Amino acid sequence: MLKVKLKNIEFNSPIIAASGTYGYGDEFGSFVDLKKIGCIITKSITIEERTGNPSPRIYESDSGMINSIGLANMGVQNFCKLKLSKLNKIETNFIVSVAGSKIQDYLDVVSEIEKFNGNHIGYEINVSCPNVKKGGMEFGLNKDITQKLTLELRKITNKLLIIKLSPNVSNIEEIGLSAENGGADAISAVNTFSGLAIDYKTGNMILSTKYGGVSGPPIKPLALAKIHKLYTQISIPIIGMGGIVTFKDIIEFIRVGSAMVQIGTLNFRDPSLINTLYDDLELFLIKDKITSISELIGNYNDN
Amino acid sequence: MWSMRKWSFKYVNWRLTTAYPGGLKYAIKHPFELIKDICKYLIWCQRIDKDLDKHA
Repeated sequence: MLKVKLKNIEFNSPIIAASGTYGYGDEFGSFVDLKKIGCIITKSITIEERTGNPSPRIYESDSGMINSIGLANMGVQNFCKLKLSKLNKIETNFIVSVAGSKIQDYLDVVSEIEKFNGNHIGYEINVSCPNVKKGGMEFGLNKDITQKLTLELRKITNKLLIIKLSPNVSNIEEIGLSAENGGADAISAVNTFSGLAIDYKTGNMILSTKYGGVSGPPIKPLALAKIHKLYTQISIPIIGMGGIVTFKDIIEFIRVGSAMVQIGTLNFRDPSLINTLYDDLELFLIKDKITSISELIGNYNDN
Repeated sequence: MWSMRKWSFKYVNWRLTTAYPGGLKYAIKHPFELIKDICKYLIWCQRIDKDLDKHA
């Protein structure tokens, strides 16, 4: 009922734990039922180890969050040595998120991981991180660079290749099309929106980097619009995300064209809530006599 | 806070690494910052829970 397929890979559910919100993926087995999660996407991995941006780098806004973590991660060498073998044993699919500041960085990270015996089903290419000084989102704002990067990555891996898009562009469809033309298997949309928090009394900026990425329920309508625009223009599957906190949100994202969805900010409240979403979604399908969640993809009425 | 009782040390350690450059070491060196941030986080959790109840 909740099983979905993407490039002949079967997922137990359409629910994915978003990158950066579920650690490296091996921290949860003791208190979350991983079989109810379709897939976990690791923290973004870069070529070198990174400590990220100075503190404060997380701000809890009304019902959401602004973060400026800055791709803190252990680097590809440590990831392959310390994490990959542990991840091979987890009870669900996992995808490795990859970030960099130039095309060669992305290629080096993927090439390095390909050398190891990882059971990962694919890569999510983060071309949309708003929290690093160099690279990151610059890729996701330029259709030619996005296409070139996707083409180059396609040459070195047959695994699932997902490009994670930034919403901070005027024409997201154009970037999505360039990823599709480059050989991507799917699109993740959308990453965080650029935002800022300030103390009204002191005038101090709250985040050390001033700007951060806004996530959580406040961005849901904006994300839905971006996904719908993509759905009408591209033919590869879309993995929708942006402020999902209930099963109703999941169905909305699927109805506007998402084949699967990612849960992000909610995981910071409680990483086991992702299991509740699975149970609620299953109950809804039973009650409404829907035999497969995939029936709802793009199932909306134009007014 | 009840829902946090099951969190593993590995997970809490990762959360600290996410919040602070240096993770656990930074948190130990800056206890007041840690306490302030935990309070802010708990208030945020209450807000999220209210929203979840509304949409249930």
